[in-house]
Amino acid sequence: MSAARAIFGSSETRFAYTLLLPVSILLAGLVAYPFGYAIYVSFTDRVVGNDGQWIGLGNFRYLAQSPAFSAAIQNTVVLVVASDALKLAIGLGLALLVNQRLPGRGLLRSALMLPWAMPAFVAFLVWRVIYQPIGGGLNLLLTASGIWPEVVDWLGQRSTAMPAVIAASVWRGFPFWFVSILAALQNIPLELYEAARVDGASAWQRFWAVTWPAIRPVVIVTTLLSSIWTANSFENVWLLTQGGPSDATIVFPVLAYFGMQTQRIGEAAAVSVAMLPVLAILVFAGTTMMQRGEEE
Amino acid sequence: MKRQALLGRIFTYAVLGIAVLIVLFPVYWMIITSLKLPREIYRTPALWPQVFTLNNYRQLLDDKGFLDNILNSLIVAGCVTVISLAVSSIAAYSMVRFRTRFRGVIGRLILFAYLTPTSLLFIPLSILMARLQLGNSLYGLVLVYLTFSLPLSTWLLQGYFRSVPRALEEQGMIDGLTRLGALIRIVLPLSVPGLAAVAIFTFTGAWNELLLALVLITSESARTAPLGLNYLITSDVLPWGPLMAGAVLSSLPLMVLYFVAQRFMVQGLAAGSVKG
Repeated sequence: MSAARAIFGSSETRFAYTLLLPVSILLAGLVAYPFGYAIYVSFTDRVVGNDGQWIGLGNFRYLAQSPAFSAAIQNTVVLVVASDALKLAIGLGLALLVNQRLPGRGLLRSALMLPWAMPAFVAFLVWRVIYQPIGGGLNLLLTASGIWPEVVDWLGQRSTAMPAVIAASVWRGFPFWFVSILAALQNIPLELYEAARVDGASAWQRFWAVTWPAIRPVVIVTTLLSSIWTANSFENVWLLTQGGPSDATIVFPVLAYFGMQTQRIGEAAAVSVAMLPVLAILVFAGTTMMQRGEEE
Repeated sequence: MKRQALLGRIFTYAVLGIAVLIVLFPVYWMIITSLKLPREIYRTPALWPQVFTLNNYRQLLDDKGFLDNILNSLIVAGCVTVISLAVSSIAAYSMVRFRTRFRGVIGRLILFAYLTPTSLLFIPLSILMARLQLGNSLYGLVLVYLTFSLPLSTWLLQGYFRSVPRALEEQGMIDGLTRLGALIRIVLPLSVPGLAAVAIFTFTGAWNELLLALVLITSESARTAPLGLNYLITSDVLPWGPLMAGAVLSSLPLMVLYFVAQRFMVQGLAAGSVKG
């Protein structure tokens, strides 16, 4: 028995590995290698045109003292927590409403999925126009209806810029939650609700006894995935505010991109690597949940 | 009890109605702004324009060359979709049909790759592409877009392939098909809805991507649609009219696609959690 045969076994097994070869090579070259390389570069003082030298934790020490970096940490946390909590609340609420036996239900579902079908870059460009003080739709609605008489520069002032970014992100992101939760709701057998009603359970008790256990796995996976995506979303902040005004909405990916633009590659890599510890926990939990869901 | 049910119904429709209005307003504003004259955009904004014009579209297509951007996007997204489907369908087949020793590990690594964000990879990828002399080219863009499309389509296709009964394949192999023949003649045709859904997700992902394009593409002739629009807003004067015309043109094909294939999309989503 040859060595190769000892490792790879029968011809069937060899065939199985052969089929996996292209994807493995491409992902090794395009994901694994760059991933490791990003970590390496973050420990060097590389700039454009000069590969730089190993400087240990130099970049991270510099970032720890940089006000833009602290702002990015704070903003990213606010963005992730606020927008994902809102997406969950809105997505769950609307899914529960649409899950009733309603005339026009299919149409409502399609309409509510619309932001998901819109490319993210289009969505955020449209919101940028809507937020404008001159010619923006939001100010028009608010002043015309008398809700708020003054014209507000939503993206231009520190106090409203982050809420505006969050609102636009929620608009674009809630359908994913809505559709996922709705799919899980539709798998719950109606008899369970009947049984709970016969037992005299209130609507609130029915939710916690029947609905919640059935949708919990979906909610957990969606929370993990959405947190990863929100923490790394570039388009929303870039197209709405480019991180401004004066770093009020700066987040990790935008800060890293700025670093890249100013040609300080080592520092820019350190920005994205700095969030790796938190990210790793989320990714590990996410993959575990997804694999478990697959086996069931 | 009856009264309560009626009130409940009114509440439901009221909330859903408001939600639908909030969802639709930006879409409405995009379309209406794209059809307005500049003076109606900036000086006298209104919910309904006095004059409709196609000038914004003309300006975008003639002066800004947006048609080239759309074409580049089509080429890139099309190539990514074809390559991804080919590579990931054989990989997914192997993962589903063979109980190899490293199956669990490989499955996990594919998920890791899927969840590894672009924001972490864009710096090393731009260095890598420059080294491969693919920096400012659509080929390079196709290659780097495989970083997110391959893991996603492999993961999703596993779900679809698993639902093809093994017995059908075995029957085919008794009738003289090879393994590969069984995949091509039996499994793939039975998974057409799944393949369609994965193709749409992959195409959309590549069509929507901005960060990597921004970092890799420097010449105007290689700009994709998101890139073309991005550079419209980094100029000093913000041309909202043409910008919204571009927004309409870039989203229309996808929105039509989604509505035609909505059923597949929702199933696909349920099968493997897809980023929008």
